[in-house]
Amino acid sequence: MFDPDTLHKATQAQAQWEADYARVAKRFGGDAAAPLETHSGLPIKPCYFPQDVQNIPGEDIGAPGAYPFTRGNLPAQYQFMRWANQPVIGYGLPEHTRARMDALAAKGMSGYFGQKFYNLVYDLVSHEGLDPDHPAARGRIGQCGMAVYSVRDMERLFDGLELPKMNVVHITYYQVIPGLAQYIAYAERRGVKPAELRGNSMNWYHQSAYVGMSAFPPDQGLKLAVELITYCTRHMPAWNTTNFFCYGVEEAGGTATQEIGLLLAFGVELVQACMKAGLKADEFLPRFGFQIAQANDFFEEIAKIRAFRQVWARTMHERFGAQDPRSMHVRIHTHTSGAVLTAQQPLVNLIRTTIHALGAALAGTQAMEVSSYDEALAIPTEEAATLALRVQQVIGEETNITAVADALGGSYYLESLTARIGAAARELARAVEEQGGYIAAQRSGWIRDEVERSADRWRELVSSGKRKIVGLNCYQTEDEQRAPIFRVDPQVEHTAVERIRQLRAQRDGARWTEAMRKFEEAAQLFKHRTAADLGAGELMSAAIDAARADATTGEMMGVLKRALGWGAPHEH
Amino acid sequence: MPLRVLLTKPTHDCHDRGVRHLARKLRDAGFEVVFTNFLLAQEVVDAAVQEDVDVVGLSSSSGGHMAAFEDLMRGLKAADADDIVVIAGGVIPDEDAKELKSWGVRAVFGPGSSPGDVVTFLNAHVKAA
Repeated sequence: MFDPDTLHKATQAQAQWEADYARVAKRFGGDAAAPLETHSGLPIKPCYFPQDVQNIPGEDIGAPGAYPFTRGNLPAQYQFMRWANQPVIGYGLPEHTRARMDALAAKGMSGYFGQKFYNLVYDLVSHEGLDPDHPAARGRIGQCGMAVYSVRDMERLFDGLELPKMNVVHITYYQVIPGLAQYIAYAERRGVKPAELRGNSMNWYHQSAYVGMSAFPPDQGLKLAVELITYCTRHMPAWNTTNFFCYGVEEAGGTATQEIGLLLAFGVELVQACMKAGLKADEFLPRFGFQIAQANDFFEEIAKIRAFRQVWARTMHERFGAQDPRSMHVRIHTHTSGAVLTAQQPLVNLIRTTIHALGAALAGTQAMEVSSYDEALAIPTEEAATLALRVQQVIGEETNITAVADALGGSYYLESLTARIGAAARELARAVEEQGGYIAAQRSGWIRDEVERSADRWRELVSSGKRKIVGLNCYQTEDEQRAPIFRVDPQVEHTAVERIRQLRAQRDGARWTEAMRKFEEAAQLFKHRTAADLGAGELMSAAIDAARADATTGEMMGVLKRALGWGAPHEH
Repeated sequence: MPLRVLLTKPTHDCHDRGVRHLARKLRDAGFEVVFTNFLLAQEVVDAAVQEDVDVVGLSSSSGGHMAAFEDLMRGLKAADADDIVVIAGGVIPDEDAKELKSWGVRAVFGPGSSPGDVVTFLNAHVKAA
């Protein structure tokens, strides 16, 4: 990378600096040899030189838009198209969520080329796979998401919007198939074909390896993910089928290396399963998306993203024969970390999220959700959600960082860190394969253990004061500012229950019974299928038929849980 | 006899980093810890009675905690198990914490609390049955 003369001079400069640094360290009573480390625990030095990057092959760095895409997916980064604003929206009844969608759109929330982009989260009842009249739903309806359980609720949410001209991200947990089926059935009523729809499904069965608890055992979850991918590949070419939930690893306490290494390992297993089901790499890989955290270690988080682009591209190309550049791209939805935000001195979170968002922009993200400053307290107020959007707008409009692609590329430190994280991630992915692959490592608890160890280490550092958090373990104040708390209208529960009862009374009962019988049959057949038997999309088609017959989320999830779930007591 | 503590979380609430860390720290501090997810509060009541625990800690970080605690407190009373100490954790606004305490929830450990706070509280306020 450097000619011998440059390297020689740099080596001399480094020797001089080392002596100077040691002198300063001594004066301050420090130890020049004391190791520094990133938040992931990777060793770092107080300064970097050309010789730190001389062994990195030039093609590893390359150019934006060129394989292996370390510097970005496309030749132009933000010069012609900004990242999309994707704040998470969802609370109360569908019409409440719609009001927040419209309010933020009016404030400039914008997708690619000014298109509408809605990142919508379903409520706790839907996530649980229930309907609002279930005994466990009380107190959870419209909380932490929107109370949407049927095609009719989607009418309340989307009517009047031009579906083919917008992107909708459906943030579901395990009710991903009912959610997509209902959206397809809703679009059909509006005269819009599945092929015209744009947006994302989460397909998040893999997340229970490190957070929460799945409605389905890991092997059934993997098959369900393949089923959705297969259906969309055949019928919805513009639909993003799978969101790699890297963010969840970081939020669960995992390191930057674990965040990309574990999801690389999952990618390997998912791609293998899709290929067994008869899909070719270039048919489905372009529709994968990646939700990645941007947390506190500024440079490490940027290096993580650059490293991931590189190792993903190489793995998809070299191992799975992907040829289309889009099959090798890590298309990123940044979610700034919620776990590092504090309930103490909440306005300080605005400063944290601004730093996170700046890092994401410098790393070349495609879309951003910036957490609201009241994240650690409740659902965001409209004021807090607006300020979070303004963070993106200030960075995009006022700083001029959008003029230059990968502006930090070539930094000795960043390039060195990028190479190191990439190597560590590959190493971790290899370790997962040694465990028998991602699904086996999920089943055995190996992945959960790895992530929990990191979380415990982080917590110990915070508890001991070695890792500082302003307002929590340093610079505390007695007179805390109080942030206004957002509350969901208590009437929401009553209305949601009434609506689901009306729906059951008014829908065509015979049609519903027949569609549900067929869905149940498809689910029972699916139970015994292997990945190689998938590909016909029978389960997905039956789910869409059920949604056409106004089946609710709870009813459809009941079918899936009975056939594919853990068994009692989670079959509700 | 070491104190027996049941820690629990709604199944849909994937924010389990804190409660899992707490489970480890309580175990390390000498408590016997049971951890389970739940759908209905009655499942927590049943588990608490079956496991004969001294303490139930319910963690909620996604909202919906008030109904869960209401059902839990009522269920424990109906099972004649209201001598079990109930504590709360997670994302719980101050106003809600006050109301929970008026229902008999003994302590609320919100964001930023440390496992040490919980250990200190249990050692000071709970005696094994």
